Amino acid sequence: MTDYAPVDLERGEQVEFDLNGRRVHAPPGTMLVDAAHANGVEIPIFCYEPRIGPPLGACRMCLVEVEGMRGLQTACSTPVSQDMVVHTKSDLAVDGQDGVLELILANHPLDCPVCDKGGECPLQDRTFRFGPGDSRFLEHKRHFPKPLDLSSLIALDRERCISCFRCVRFSQEVAEDGLLTFQERGGDSEITTFTGGAYEGRFTGNIVDICPVGALTSIPYRFVARPWDVTNTESVCGTCPVGCNVELTTREGRVQRVSGREDPNWIHEEGWLCDKCRYAFPAAWSPDRLTTPLIRDGGTTREVSIEEAVAAASVLLARENARPGIVVGPEATVEEGFLAQKIAAASGDAPIQQLGIPAATLAPIRALPPAELADLDGAPLIVEVGGDPANQQAIVELRIRKALRHGARLVMVGSRPHALTGLGEWHETAPGQIAETVGRLADDIKGTEGVIFVWDEQSLAQEPDAVPVLAELMAEVENAKQLELGAHINGAGLRALGLPADGVLEAAEAGDIGTLVCLLADPLSAPGASRWDAALGKTGPLVVIATHASELTDAANVVIPASMATEHEGTLVSMNGRAQRLRPGQEPPDGAAPGWQILVAIAHRLHTDVARSPSTILRTAVTERSALTGLSYKEMGRLGMRLRRPSPASANGAHAPREPAGEGLRLVTTRRIFGDGFAARSDALEHVRQPADVVISPAEASRLGLEDGDRARLVSEHGECVLPVRVSEAHQDGVAFAAVGVPGAGVERLLPADDGPVRVQLSRA
Amino acid sequence: MSVQDSIKGFGVTFKQFLKSPETIDYPDQKTPVWPRFRGRHRLWLHDNGLEKCVGCSLCAAACPADCIRVVAEENTAENRVSAGERYAKIYEINMLRCIFCGYCEVACPFDAITLEAEYELSEPSRIAEIYDKDMLLAPSPKPVPIRTEPSGRQ
Ligand code: SF4
Ligand code: FES
Repeated sequence: MTDYAPVDLERGEQVEFDLNGRRVHAPPGTMLVDAAHANGVEIPIFCYEPRIGPPLGACRMCLVEVEGMRGLQTACSTPVSQDMVVHTKSDLAVDGQDGVLELILANHPLDCPVCDKGGECPLQDRTFRFGPGDSRFLEHKRHFPKPLDLSSLIALDRERCISCFRCVRFSQEVAEDGLLTFQERGGDSEITTFTGGAYEGRFTGNIVDICPVGALTSIPYRFVARPWDVTNTESVCGTCPVGCNVELTTREGRVQRVSGREDPNWIHEEGWLCDKCRYAFPAAWSPDRLTTPLIRDGGTTREVSIEEAVAAASVLLARENARPGIVVGPEATVEEGFLAQKIAAASGDAPIQQLGIPAATLAPIRALPPAELADLDGAPLIVEVGGDPANQQAIVELRIRKALRHGARLVMVGSRPHALTGLGEWHETAPGQIAETVGRLADDIKGTEGVIFVWDEQSLAQEPDAVPVLAELMAEVENAKQLELGAHINGAGLRALGLPADGVLEAAEAGDIGTLVCLLADPLSAPGASRWDAALGKTGPLVVIATHASELTDAANVVIPASMATEHEGTLVSMNGRAQRLRPGQEPPDGAAPGWQILVAIAHRLHTDVARSPSTILRTAVTERSALTGLSYKEMGRLGMRLRRPSPASANGAHAPREPAGEGLRLVTTRRIFGDGFAARSDALEHVRQPADVVISPAEASRLGLEDGDRARLVSEHGECVLPVRVSEAHQDGVAFAAVGVPGAGVERLLPADDGPVRVQLSRA
Repeated sequence: MSVQDSIKGFGVTFKQFLKSPETIDYPDQKTPVWPRFRGRHRLWLHDNGLEKCVGCSLCAAACPADCIRVVAEENTAENRVSAGERYAKIYEINMLRCIFCGYCEVACPFDAITLEAEYELSEPSRIAEIYDKDMLLAPSPKPVPIRTEPSGRQ
């Protein structure tokens, strides 16, 4: 990863200065290190990390000579100015750099052969390119016992630390968890947490990426590989709808590490990742991973080859009176969704749906100009409506924090308190009151230009009356942009294919589905689980293409193991409409195959002509689906491309308020960052996993006679489940806040199939 | 050609009769090699019995034939294998690929691997040509005499 900030040498205003005798230019205010880098001159750095924020000048590695200024200057904290004369290679500058490097290495153990950073270490690289080449120090180096566990994910080797403060500043200024600090002084300085406990948070893994030495290393990657043993693949994280760019590090056929990818213009996630994305990859070899295709016939279960399973599935689809229905899950790629549509079309226009949130009511907002994450950086005002970005779209939280440091104003409307609510104007609303609250704030918001509206898909789908209010407000603000907080990984991609979020369920309930195909979809752990459960009793044979075992695969007649996002090619569309390429970092396990291959094989057996490679499948999809116009693997390149905006058309009268039937508390759900199937299946995340629970206010707790730690039975009109109770002062009365997504917890049974509003009654279980 | 020339020629032949033969009785007898000969690899132990190799994989990086595979693991208090933090759980050299350049020996920061004199490397199968750590740690399975004197040959 380059450590320098992007510099726009084309921008209107530029200052000219002399760099090593060459006349060059850069925009005013650019730091010398960045200006020099943009002009092809490397100035060595350690502590400078422009993504963290303003320079600190802790390491002194970047010394350069500036004529007219006394002594040497730190280039990382000296902005360029007109006609400045800079020497980075003069005797004086080189002498300064040599001295600093000699001092930095005075206490560095130089145990590179056993250090995981060795081979990709900025300290190694810069010692090689700069510095004196030997040392005058004869004294003993300082020693600390090696290594400490800073958390279950990060090992700290204090001997190697060069006190650059990057990790501390990341914790203090980027993640703003305030946990990391230095203790002691001078040679005794060491990194620790304020509490003395583990460094746990949502973004901790980033400090491993930014540590310029091997002081902070990743425990799951400890001693697994050296940089020359591996291949790196540029891909996309397929664990949440943000779609961060990642690099998959493969050794001996397995993805061993996921790390942030250089984001040249900081448009997307700036190279930061959340810990779920970074440490979810071991889910690929969890014990419940499906690796054997199965056929269940009557009472017998047979282990078969994948070809036999595909053949059996095709027979079930092609038989007389098959009346198939296809359910596509949120992890399916655009290619897989398209193939599923082809198969549905070939099976006599069979119903097909995705497990998502109906799009019709949200169309007026989606049609407005979309924002990139980078747009948040300079926004004067951010209006966040609903949702829980800190858990569900974690990287958005970092970007909003950054915007706040840049002076943005943050107005939040919603019913669930989250990590950001303390940082801005938080207008707590009862469920159903978003429209009214936004209406009240409209005058205040309208005055500002360039407002970014960050809105939650699920919250607004539950409150359709807020959609026109918000859309009108956005239309009134000059240069307003909207950033959707999507609910489903490839929800936007499947929507672009025109996959509705209903149809199959209704048909199944009516007994119109003969063969049900679930493609990377588990309706039994999705909203509406109880309805699906009942409907499955009325369908015929069940074909499941899935990655992990579940209740659904236990009931299936044909189980075809499929690959995960780290194992196949494909396209995922992020929540804000950026199509990006998945590239495989490992092969699927024996017995499993990429979803698209399975679908192509089925299509061929059904005598449907489909393309046979992901790129050609996408090409056909692009010609047949106007929402994908212009898309191709070439266009997507490294960082993806935007899809066309959907048209604003939305169903008439769809924006009436929705009032859930029944009695009891309104239920508000969130998917916790470490509380989904990825976290549950990745052994790396074992120590940070979050269980399912229901949070209620103290008033509700005393009214219901429940206490913190009790187990409560939650009953809605759709179903019921039992959850541990947590009582929280921060949460409003009249609402129960439950965590969805935890495998086996069954919260989804309480929810309607469209993830709409619902009431629950709580009682002691 | 005169008679004298013939006598001269036979003289050369006769001289050779009196010399001991250059051929040796392999495999009962083995050709001695120079001390710097690069043959079969050997991994070394410290005097205290710990392995010198820390599994850093630098040999694999240096190897132009890409024939070394190192998979490292962490030493624990119960299972201390090497002197460093890590050790090589798997250390393999594919002898069919090796070109005996000795770069691994040069690259090794701990003098853990050297190329020794042994040159009898034929095995019954291809797979047996992948020498694992135990084989490489074993001292001189098929010793070869080292040549100390300059050879009689010019
Ligand atoms: S641990 Fe690494 S990032 Fe943190 S101060 Fe030390 S060298 Fe810098
Ligand atoms: S990079 Fe300039 S002082 Fe550290």
